[in-house]
Amino acid sequence: MLFWIIIAVLTALVAALLLAPLMRAPKVVEEETSGEAEVYKDQLKEIDRDLAGGLINAQEAENARAEIGRRLIAVSAQSARSTAAGQTLAHRIAQVLVIALIPAVGLGAYLYLGSPGNPDQPLEARLANPGNNMELLVAKAERYLADNPDDGKGWDILAPIYLRSGRLGDAELAWRNAMRLQGVTAERVIGLGETLVQNNQGIVTEDARAAFQEGARLDPKNPRARFYLALAIEQAGRRDEAKAAFEAFSKESPADAPWQPLLKDHIAANSGDAPPAAPGNPSAADVQAASGMSAGDRQQMIRSMVEGLDAKLKDNPKNFEGWMRLVRSYAMLGEKDKANAALTTSLENFPATGQEGAQLVTLGRDLGLDVEGATK
Amino acid sequence: MIVETGHYALVLALAVALLSSVLPVIGARRNDAGMMAFASTASVALFGLVLLSFSALTWAYEASDFSVKNVWENSHSAMPAIFRFSAVWGNHEGSMMLWLLILTFFSLLVAVFGRNLPESLKANTLAVQAWMAVAFILFILLTSNPFLRLDVVPAEGQDLNPILQDVGLAIHPPLLYLGYVGFSVSFSFAIAALIDGRLDAAWARWVRPWTLAAWTFLTAGIAMGSYWAYYELGWGGWWFWDPVENASLMPWLAGTALLHSAIVMEKREALKIWTVLLAIIAFSLSLLGTFLVRSGVLTSVHSFATDPSRGVFILGILTLFIGGAFTLFAIRAPALKSGGLFAPISREGALVLNNLVLTVSMASVLIGTLYPLVLETLTGNKISVGAPFFNLTFGLLMVPLLIATPFGPMLAWKRGDLLGAFQRLYVAAGLALVAGLVFFYLDEGGPILAVLGLAAGFYLIFGAIADLWYRSGFGKAATGIAWKRLIGLPRSAFGTALGHAGLGITVLGVIAVSTFQTEHVTEMKPGETADAGGYHLVFDGMNSMKGPNFTEQRAHFSISRDGQKVREVWSSKRLYTARRMPTTEAGIATFGASQLYVALGDPMADGGIVVRIWWKPSVLFIWFGALFMMAGGVISLTDRRLRVGAPARRAKKMPTPALEAAE
Repeated sequence: MLFWIIIAVLTALVAALLLAPLMRAPKVVEEETSGEAEVYKDQLKEIDRDLAGGLINAQEAENARAEIGRRLIAVSAQSARSTAAGQTLAHRIAQVLVIALIPAVGLGAYLYLGSPGNPDQPLEARLANPGNNMELLVAKAERYLADNPDDGKGWDILAPIYLRSGRLGDAELAWRNAMRLQGVTAERVIGLGETLVQNNQGIVTEDARAAFQEGARLDPKNPRARFYLALAIEQAGRRDEAKAAFEAFSKESPADAPWQPLLKDHIAANSGDAPPAAPGNPSAADVQAASGMSAGDRQQMIRSMVEGLDAKLKDNPKNFEGWMRLVRSYAMLGEKDKANAALTTSLENFPATGQEGAQLVTLGRDLGLDVEGATK
Repeated sequence: MIVETGHYALVLALAVALLSSVLPVIGARRNDAGMMAFASTASVALFGLVLLSFSALTWAYEASDFSVKNVWENSHSAMPAIFRFSAVWGNHEGSMMLWLLILTFFSLLVAVFGRNLPESLKANTLAVQAWMAVAFILFILLTSNPFLRLDVVPAEGQDLNPILQDVGLAIHPPLLYLGYVGFSVSFSFAIAALIDGRLDAAWARWVRPWTLAAWTFLTAGIAMGSYWAYYELGWGGWWFWDPVENASLMPWLAGTALLHSAIVMEKREALKIWTVLLAIIAFSLSLLGTFLVRSGVLTSVHSFATDPSRGVFILGILTLFIGGAFTLFAIRAPALKSGGLFAPISREGALVLNNLVLTVSMASVLIGTLYPLVLETLTGNKISVGAPFFNLTFGLLMVPLLIATPFGPMLAWKRGDLLGAFQRLYVAAGLALVAGLVFFYLDEGGPILAVLGLAAGFYLIFGAIADLWYRSGFGKAATGIAWKRLIGLPRSAFGTALGHAGLGITVLGVIAVSTFQTEHVTEMKPGETADAGGYHLVFDGMNSMKGPNFTEQRAHFSISRDGQKVREVWSSKRLYTARRMPTTEAGIATFGASQLYVALGDPMADGGIVVRIWWKPSVLFIWFGALFMMAGGVISLTDRRLRVGAPARRAKKMPTPALEAAE
């Protein structure tokens, strides 16, 4: 409301200001020559000064005076043009123009271009009252940590958030800081390992392998550490060893452990002549298998994988395979809203009329998603 | 609410500008006092609205309001307050707002200080200014609106381009724009005079302060930009013949020519048509300069807009204003009476020579800048016209100008005495040659041509002093009288002398640095040493630093001479975290007017780092000269002759109609 009052006052003020010269009694201006004459008179004085100063001689001064004198005469000889009639009418029209055009153009163009009612959002005020906005909460925590870089708990909270939202460089720094300040735990070192793997397109690098090894030492039962260590062997091309590692892991896990199917896939892949699966983003099978892990592990593993994928697709939405995987993953997790959202976004990138779009639609139907809503 | 009010103020400004571009012209046609007075009132309102709008945008930057798309794209909450402020114009949209703000500011100045102008000239001039305001407000609102909002408000901005995070950027664009846009006033005066069909010696005097002001600001802007490129880009050069630099040099050359031809017009009523043409050209080149930087057609170190659709809009503005101005000129110019006659050897003749050289050199820069563009558009071939072309053409063209400059002020109007001027100057020339040789032997080494170049620089300086000397009559009259005369000389005479001497000082700097500078590129490890310019550098080692929004690797150097430690410098490589963009911060040690310039290159595998060390003798003279020229401009501006006519107008302020009629 206040905004509209300000706008009304501003408009009225401007219109009133502009009307002022048009409200005065109509007046014809004589052709003015005083300004010119003044300039030429000053030039005459200047010649006197120059002459007195010895800059020019008498002859030159005389010539210059004659020349300027001619200009003076020319100026005063100019006849005054004047048209007196019709001014009142012209002013009326001009007044109407001012009164009509100022609000019409102002409001018309503003309503077309502007966002009336959109409040200011200075950062300080938003940080003071972040609500549920994850980004702001993170920003607030970051500010806090910038001033208190030795608060390990802060890094501990931020690290998994960074990992989930795909800010992998920040995540790595946060894990390392948390370990430096709070000590090395299996949770932290494995988190660092996962960050490094994601940052290297799914390849377990030497750094990551060392991290998982440390994690396995601290918590020998941790399934994530064991899985990635075995994966590292597989990626190194040592298939027999990899098969043995996966088999040992499988044997020591409960028979109904949710990651058993995943392990079975890897055991199969490393037996016989089948080439090992190319390293890449976690496959749908990985996610599916992991969905049965213990509650804590499930939270961490699946979320980090799926949301990492989600974040990657936001940056690079032209990845058809990725979208298929994401939609399926969310559906498997029972997150219907997110699955629908992912389907909608994927169909924006791959229209349902196309070949890939059609596949997405089929997938959505199979999973019982709201295909009609998504294609709208 | 503040942001939206700013947006609304800008839209309202469009409405005001629309009215102000029509009513005053009608008023001037009909001799209607009210409608002509409307121009001044509207100029005040227009400036107020644009200022309100600009302030709202500035507030959004200071408060890091990332709901404004433009703020989110170009700011970061961790930036120091000064850069959050300068970031307002460190991007395309904001810089257009600054352009507009300065345009309306000049309109305001004309409205307030133009009391001595004839009403119709003033009304038409302000109307032409309003046409430009309409074009630029439309351009901003339709293609480059800085007030667009984001629905999902991010928590952090994307940061400003790191090379623009520098105090130089806070000052450079406003100065440059004050220059560019300042020429819009001369342009508007020219168009108004063409519309009115009235063009006389008085016109030249009325335009002169505006041209002088614009020229002074442009000189400052170019010098500032050049110095900024020198220390920020870390390449050790001060002028790259970069298209963006050329874009600012061209209006400067045209403006310098305009400044001189306006003197002839004012004194002798000659060169009228030419002066009007120069006023149009100077501003056209300013617009072209804006276009070259903004459209992103040019790849350049400091252009930050890349959007061809905007280019099309600016091309429209260019065509409309430049094409329209030349059409009007073609229709009206033949009807103008030509003015006084003069002999070839006279002050007028010297100024014509000045104009000839300046415009031809301007054309050479224009060709060198645009030719590659045109060629690329037509054939797809990318060629680059670099320093060799410009040094040859521009450099050669400057030689006769440098020789002729001191003659100009010494020649009489209408019919000059070349021999007399020559006699007065040969003392200056002799002194200059001696000074050039002394300078040469002090620095040693270097081709013999450098002596001539240095001599030319000194010759300009001594010539400027000689002009004042002979004008005051030192040597002819008693010293006391000469002193009195010197003090009594018009301010513009001092302005001339300072301007010409400044040119000489810049020439000295250019010649000294391009002949005597030394460059070393070596790999250094901590503890190693290097020599440059008679100084001894020790690389002490590196350390890491963290700035507000960057991290940096700094190298420390100790500089000693003859075993005595004289200075220490830090040279660093920065990484701006938000954009992951590296920059080089050169370490510069100043000794008198000379500088030792140390820039870091890439680190080597064996722990060393590539270090580039330049010894730049007398390099600061280049910018000292610009300071002298600016001082000349400012002093000329205070000349009382530029304020003539005001007293008569004050009488008119009285409300009685009898006095009006008396005029």
